[in-house]
Amino acid sequence: MPSDYLVRFAQVHDEFRIPELLSVSELFKFKIGLPPKIDTSRALMILSLDSEEHALILARRCILIKSVCELYASGTTYEEIHEQVRRNHDKWSRYIPDTSFKFSVTGYANAIPQDRQLDVINSFRWMDLRGKIDMKNPEVTFVCHEEYLYIEGDRVRSLHDGNFIAVHFGRLVLDGSARPLIRTFSVKTREYYGNTSMDAEISLLMANQALAAPGRLIYDPFVGTGSMAYTCAHFGSLFIGSDIDGRQMRGKDSSPGIIRSANQYGVTSRILDLLTMDVTQHPWRVGGLFDAIVTDPPYGIRAGAKRLGRKKTRETVTERVQTFIATRESDQPYVPPTKPYELSELVSDLVLFSRAMLKPQGRLIFFLPTVTEEYEEVDIDTMLCDGMEVIANSLQDFGNWGRRLITIKKCTDESYPPPMLRRTSEVEIHDGDGEDTGAHIPAHKDFRVKYFQGFKKSVP
Amino acid sequence: MVRLITHNLLACHAKGCTSNNFPLQLKDVQIALREADFNPDFVRGFMPKIEWNALVNAARQLGDSSLPAEQPEMIDDDLLKALHHVLLEIHIEEGQMTCPNCNHVYPISNGIPNMLLAEHEIA
Repeated sequence: MPSDYLVRFAQVHDEFRIPELLSVSELFKFKIGLPPKIDTSRALMILSLDSEEHALILARRCILIKSVCELYASGTTYEEIHEQVRRNHDKWSRYIPDTSFKFSVTGYANAIPQDRQLDVINSFRWMDLRGKIDMKNPEVTFVCHEEYLYIEGDRVRSLHDGNFIAVHFGRLVLDGSARPLIRTFSVKTREYYGNTSMDAEISLLMANQALAAPGRLIYDPFVGTGSMAYTCAHFGSLFIGSDIDGRQMRGKDSSPGIIRSANQYGVTSRILDLLTMDVTQHPWRVGGLFDAIVTDPPYGIRAGAKRLGRKKTRETVTERVQTFIATRESDQPYVPPTKPYELSELVSDLVLFSRAMLKPQGRLIFFLPTVTEEYEEVDIDTMLCDGMEVIANSLQDFGNWGRRLITIKKCTDESYPPPMLRRTSEVEIHDGDGEDTGAHIPAHKDFRVKYFQGFKKSVP
Repeated sequence: MVRLITHNLLACHAKGCTSNNFPLQLKDVQIALREADFNPDFVRGFMPKIEWNALVNAARQLGDSSLPAEQPEMIDDDLLKALHHVLLEIHIEEGQMTCPNCNHVYPISNGIPNMLLAEHEIA
């Protein structure tokens, strides 16, 4: 029989909570009953789960979960709570005779004064728990959680004590044990990182979206300094990374930087390989290789996207090659020229590439920067192709721009040959006044230009 | 790094190089052996993607002859273990991979292969 569980989330990344829950439940193959109405402004959520084992899995794996409780009662007054707890007697009666316990009375958006905490605890005296009270290592912890509307200003807030919008009572299953990983993978204490390294919390969330687990192979075609490699490998996945710029992966020492950080986290044996290559001119012999592709494509703010090729110049290519051959020192490594890669084009290429390289049911997880005011749902559709479906889209809001973590699933068993993403026309960065072809132009097109113009509306 | 699993997945992709472009020939290689977690399901799941002859030849060139020349029909534990070792525990640290068709040289340094093409080799 399914029971209700109260999940308390960290007060961050609210749009990432449900996708993370669903990913973890898909990975461990169980069902989650979500509430009929989801209010992401509230950090508490009641889930219906088939077994306590599932609650434990969520608390151990979800980065955004602070705690999970088995719910005995939920209401707007303490009278309702007491009544429901009484009715659910069989859920907690086994703790009556001889189980050490403690009570914890907490509030969201309000610190409850100690004397009132005591009042609340004493009001549950009728439960007649006979075990001894143990504040340090109790066998069972009963949790009473008051939920308040968030109000600015501490002084005003303290006047509202007792004026909660909801109160919940239950038994603590587990404090979220994945959350401390944010500290473990902190970029600050990492052996090797760069100015584009992804922060630890998001890297962990991306690993969960990728269903990282032993035996699964995950690929990042813009691996940079490898932030997602460590978190995916931590959860047991094998990982391949590639980047057009080998210096990002190597750093200055002779031992590659990504390997040094992987050593620090004890995941080196799961970093399968690192390659210097261009995803638009890639050497993969076959497709259908990866369980997930996880990446943060460069979108031109801190690092610009590049592909092999040369910007349009008056000189012809053959002339260039001849000059190059004539002037190259024989002992110098050859560094091929690169040209800019416009974001909306990069993104649709990435989806096409992923469709070929992913296994059926494989996932593509990547960040898409968007201009908040201009973003429309259809922007996402412009980059999709047959067989690729968006299953999650979570905004991280930075004010007038934001980035969306997009999760796309390959919903087809068909195999596609690895595409070579060749364009007949030259790609140039232009200032947004593209030719009108009638097709929808997504708001992330020419994102770099818009960013550096401060997202001002262009004057016609 | 450049484990043999990766070597088995890389083909020359220079412009016009579409046949006889696999496997890349190993030259002047330095290898290292490093233990990896054995996951039989992963190895079994990966077998359909493997080019058997290329793998056996590369392994033999690097001094490992644990794999039979013909891909056996029966997949037993011993075979999975041998495959695991060949695919995941032999690392090429330095050396070159050369395309048998167009002779493009892909150098490997500190375990990272450079798969970039020159300007006249891209489409």
